[in-house]
Amino acid sequence: MSEHPQPADHKQQTLISQARQGDAAAWETLVGQHQEAVFRLAYLLLGDADEAKDAAQEAFIRAFRALHQFDTTRPMRPWLLRITTNLVYNRRRAVGRYLAAIQRLVRLTPEPVMAPTPEASLPSEESALLWQAVRRLNPADQEIIYLRYFLELSVAETAEAANIAPGTVKSRLSRALGRLRQVIAREFPGLWKEHVA
Amino acid sequence: MSERFFGRTGGNHNEAWEARLRDAARAFPYPPTPDIASVVRAQLAEEAGRKAGLPVSRRLVWAALIVLLLLGGLLAVPQVRAALVEYLQIGAIRIFLVEPTPTSTPLPSTATAQPTPTPIASLLDLAGETTLAEASQQVDFPIRLPTYPADLGQPDAVFAQELGGPVVVLVWLDEADPSRVRLSLHQLGPGTFGDKGDPGRVEETVVNGRRAIWAEGPYVLQFRRGNQVDYDLRRLVEGRVLIWTEGEITYRLETDLSLAEAVRVAESLR
Repeated sequence: MSEHPQPADHKQQTLISQARQGDAAAWETLVGQHQEAVFRLAYLLLGDADEAKDAAQEAFIRAFRALHQFDTTRPMRPWLLRITTNLVYNRRRAVGRYLAAIQRLVRLTPEPVMAPTPEASLPSEESALLWQAVRRLNPADQEIIYLRYFLELSVAETAEAANIAPGTVKSRLSRALGRLRQVIAREFPGLWKEHVA
Repeated sequence: MSERFFGRTGGNHNEAWEARLRDAARAFPYPPTPDIASVVRAQLAEEAGRKAGLPVSRRLVWAALIVLLLLGGLLAVPQVRAALVEYLQIGAIRIFLVEPTPTSTPLPSTATAQPTPTPIASLLDLAGETTLAEASQQVDFPIRLPTYPADLGQPDAVFAQELGGPVVVLVWLDEADPSRVRLSLHQLGPGTFGDKGDPGRVEETVVNGRRAIWAEGPYVLQFRRGNQVDYDLRRLVEGRVLIWTEGEITYRLETDLSLAEAVRVAESLR
């Protein structure tokens, strides 16, 4: 994986140019190329497939309207992911009370922690537990871990998507992973027990 | 990537931990990615069409007028009136029907009938979010709360809307699944209009000794679209709607409870 963000290639630039002229078919092609990453990030942030679908759709609509602001010398995927993250955060702010209620309920009734036994530690179970652990972190920590590890963006792409300097990615990741490790040790002791210090 | 994340432990140990994290994250079982591209294209096309025409709220008014004119014309012919179309009026809400007026005897099949699928609104999109205290200041009628079920408590979300008059929407979330609405109670003040189409199965019932309607299907609410507020036909609960009046206020209780339970909730308002 390259550590340098790749600008939109010639074909993409042509599609972007057409979409800027209002060509919805060109935009549909571009959406098709990036919808998986956008939907997955929205799902990780929201935890609900229907909400993630709505958020992803709205993110692409917003991106279409803001397409004239997009710098075609930059990669498109981090730009779309940044729009998605901002959209989700704005929605959360707009319904702060609603989400606060959800968070309160989640904290009051934490998901049962199923320590995977050696014979039951399937990758998807580990992944689901890891996600639960990540969701205990603050939004900034969640974002950096989702971008870097779940969506497997390079450091440079992560920096673009999170709108921070590449050097900051490393320090933020370091702090986020430190906190994740504490959460796992405290609330998910069955997950990677042998690796917890 | 070979960053050292934890200075207090060894580098190999940290790298192994990070490798485990990377593997688990990579194996995460995402739901299948839906076809967003074609939906986005359809939405853009719809918006383009909307720009070419009247704003949605204006179009809604015109559509309602056309419906009323059509109904007016049809209702002028007695045979047509009897055979084709009727409507029920209860408080501020007018329910257009394509079947004869329902009898006061509920049909046996309605007890287990499933509501017809209609779009269920996301709370995230509802306009006018406020607090109970603020909503009480905004409307000139007392906002009443159900005292049954006993565990219901205060609403989890409150919205103040404007549909020709003030409307307060109270929402209770499902404790087991807070993304799901357990119950919504709409209180429509004087001057409100509420046309309801596609009511599905309709029954007449009684709340506090007065006529009430037990129906299903969507109704008009205000939604946020970007920075604008617009109207749409939606519902909040996958269930049915009990509509009744008290004084100048029309109440609409949306729930997946049975009719008997819904009436009990309605009669518990204090």
